[in-house]
Amino acid sequence: MSDTEVKFEDMEKFEIVQRFSNWKELLKPSAEMRKGFYSYAASLKDQEYLNLPFPREWSPLDDDWKLPPNWKEIIINKMDELRKKYRSFQVFMDICVRCGACADKCHYYIGTGDPKNMPVVRAELLRSIYRKYFTKTGKVFGEYAGARELTEDVIKEWYIYYFQCSECRRCSVFCPYGIDTAEITMLARELLNSIGISQRFTLTSAAACVRTGNHLGLNPGGVVNSIQYAVDDIKEITGIDVEVPVNKKGADILFVTPSGDYFAQPHWFTFIGYLMIFHELDLDYTMSTYAAEGGNFGFFHSFEVAKKINQKIYKEAKRLGVKWILGGECGHMWRVKHQYMATFVDDTYEDALKSLEEPVNPITGTKFENASSTKMVHILEFLADILKHKKLKIDKSRNDHLRVTHHDSCNIARGMGLFEEPRYVIKSVCNYYYDMPDHSIREKSYCCGSGAGLLADELFELRMRGGMPRAMAVKYVHERYGVNHVTAACAIDRAAIPTLLQYWKLPVQMGGVTELVANAMIMSGEKERDTDLRGNPLGEYLEVEV
Amino acid sequence: MSLIGTVVGVYIPYIAAFIFVVGVLYRVFQWSRSAVPFNITTTCGQQYSLPWLKRTWIDRFDSPFTWWETVIRMLMEIFLFRSLWKNVRYELPAQKAVSTKWLWVFGLVFHWSLLIVLIRHFRFFLEPVPWFVSTLMKLDGFFEVHMDWFQPHMTHILITGLTLLVALLYLLYRRLAFPKERTFSLPSDYIALILLLGVATTGLLMRYVYPVDVSEVKALAQGLLSFHPPANPDLDLMFMLHLLFVSTLLAYFPFSKLMHSAGIFFSPTRNMPNNCRAKRHVNPWNYPVKGVDWNEFYENFKDDLDEIEQMGFVVRPEEY
Ligand code: SF4
Ligand code: SF4
Repeated sequence: MSDTEVKFEDMEKFEIVQRFSNWKELLKPSAEMRKGFYSYAASLKDQEYLNLPFPREWSPLDDDWKLPPNWKEIIINKMDELRKKYRSFQVFMDICVRCGACADKCHYYIGTGDPKNMPVVRAELLRSIYRKYFTKTGKVFGEYAGARELTEDVIKEWYIYYFQCSECRRCSVFCPYGIDTAEITMLARELLNSIGISQRFTLTSAAACVRTGNHLGLNPGGVVNSIQYAVDDIKEITGIDVEVPVNKKGADILFVTPSGDYFAQPHWFTFIGYLMIFHELDLDYTMSTYAAEGGNFGFFHSFEVAKKINQKIYKEAKRLGVKWILGGECGHMWRVKHQYMATFVDDTYEDALKSLEEPVNPITGTKFENASSTKMVHILEFLADILKHKKLKIDKSRNDHLRVTHHDSCNIARGMGLFEEPRYVIKSVCNYYYDMPDHSIREKSYCCGSGAGLLADELFELRMRGGMPRAMAVKYVHERYGVNHVTAACAIDRAAIPTLLQYWKLPVQMGGVTELVANAMIMSGEKERDTDLRGNPLGEYLEVEV
Repeated sequence: MSLIGTVVGVYIPYIAAFIFVVGVLYRVFQWSRSAVPFNITTTCGQQYSLPWLKRTWIDRFDSPFTWWETVIRMLMEIFLFRSLWKNVRYELPAQKAVSTKWLWVFGLVFHWSLLIVLIRHFRFFLEPVPWFVSTLMKLDGFFEVHMDWFQPHMTHILITGLTLLVALLYLLYRRLAFPKERTFSLPSDYIALILLLGVATTGLLMRYVYPVDVSEVKALAQGLLSFHPPANPDLDLMFMLHLLFVSTLLAYFPFSKLMHSAGIFFSPTRNMPNNCRAKRHVNPWNYPVKGVDWNEFYENFKDDLDEIEQMGFVVRPEEY
């Protein structure tokens, strides 16, 4: 067992100590690396592979981070560049009134009580530097204008706190000016990257994705093996031979999903769910080993790495000659696909975007007008459409052993607005659905605590603390309605929430939305089924073990 | 006395107004010059996707798809403080969030009062007084309280002047008294409040306690506006104080967070429609980034990929 693994009993009961300080204290950088709250440094291999600036071996625990000699100059220049490139940066730096509406909206603040995790203060960590070097008042009045000198400790503090933000945008919902601390975090990470500071977890996944086409670093053969297991599983459960096209030219649709689905638990059941449904619909689709990843960990690192990963999907769509792209259940993947994907496109693959057609559901004939430019449709939009037109035979009672609630994943909630689709789909296939309390769903949804690269093991305590508000909302519906199943249309959630539920001792299981559809779907020619996809007996209420 | 009158009544207001106008324009110019690379609207309601999918009227404005829905979203933000309305407070150890509207109430009262008070001030600058100003005066003075016992010249109380003061006092109180708010409040946050309080109190004192010669004030205001200020105006002390506070506030404005009043129009999370997949947004400074293309990928994983080809690009269940 490595020293980072935290045993559950170690932190059976943690206390939330709310610390209140004052502006003078907050201007002093807190650079102390506390176990469970700081991330490991990126490996040299990955830094080199991605051609990042100033690749080197370093550790956050070292006193000397081996920064380039002119690091200060680099940061200031980069800030100057960013403020010209991003209006959001300049406006968000200038107009915050410190009203505090965002302060207790951050799940990391709620769970840690650390004032520097208040979104407003998180932004001030950068704003104080911006003031010092780019505003008159900051230059003249110094700390009385809330400005401070850029030092190595400030860099360390940035590294700690900008990797304690899951870019969930909850703060942005409540801010009267829409100031989005997630955007500030993204730009701060961009700044850190400019002097060679990256976090290990994001970079390992991003590098793997550039090299192999997926975050897990599976070779094409590995992807095929996974699919092989999936079709074998389906045969065992239903007795049906399902064929899955891979790298097939001339299909209608390219299907991409986050690579976690290929074998992680409980992603797996959602994965076989997709394949079962596509088979039943007789959909002309293909998967790809080159674009085997829907997610984009580059997005948590920098503009360039994000673009490197993003282009594969369009390039592959063109190579295979498909008409449009269907995307699986994933959170940040969908923030990128919705708000960034088509914008990322540059002249090296502009033609790929043009070769696609406006998406039309081949089964129902529905035109997905809202995706007419990017040509990328969400699986739950697709399924909602299919279920509305009754194109699948559904036996709702097959989900009667479950009392279901839905967790709105941050990115598709606040970066896309996908709220009704999952609810419509779930209610079409389940008899028992209950929403969590208002303050914890839809645009106010709490993060699972592990987004934006914070799923790393070394951040375990932070994650469990940050996930606390979500866990408490689940606890509420569990106690009130006997909810025993949480769904989330996000691969990170599917990895993070089971641990969270286990930590908070909630007898609740979790999985994707599509899993429930596949569970309730009666396939033509299937054998008699008395269990769900997971092997739980149908019918009586499922007692989940803690 | 008259030299002071000229300095405080003419020079300082002109200088302050100049700094205000140039400063604000400069800041706005700076913002508009920087690019908007991505459509990063914060979606606070159901997106437009399938036409039959439930989308309430408020969803349309919290997650606008068309330009006019976006305009309404902005208007709701500016005039009704839509986002602050959503405010909740997280309660430990009960571990739930409860709705809280105090910031919304006092924020809204403050801003609306300030707006109405400003419009009321037109009557000093414009002759004849426009109808909407006099109507507003009447509405504002809805409660006629005869105060002859206090000040013979007073017939009614203007409500917004008082609500302005009360709201400002609350906004100051929360920064001083609430631990979270005390934690992140900077000196500049207090400066803004103190200046505004100075303006409000001197204004109220003039109206209710130390009456000033309104015709003098009007002459000065109209003179300043027409660039023919009266020579050597003789001004009351309270009025000079009021002018000084106002001038300081104006001059301070472009350098401070008060710029939020202009900045909100530039906030990309609020002023962009959520039509990202329907309409491609173009990044003006986009540049090509080289990734791994298919050929390179094929070279790296030739064996695996050839095997997939041999399988006919299909994965089937294994024979049992
Ligand atoms: S809600 Fe917005 S304006 Fe208020 S403190 Fe937070 S970021 Fe600043
Ligand atoms: S984006 Fe989310 S994690 Fe980051 S500061 Fe805002 S609320 Fe906290």
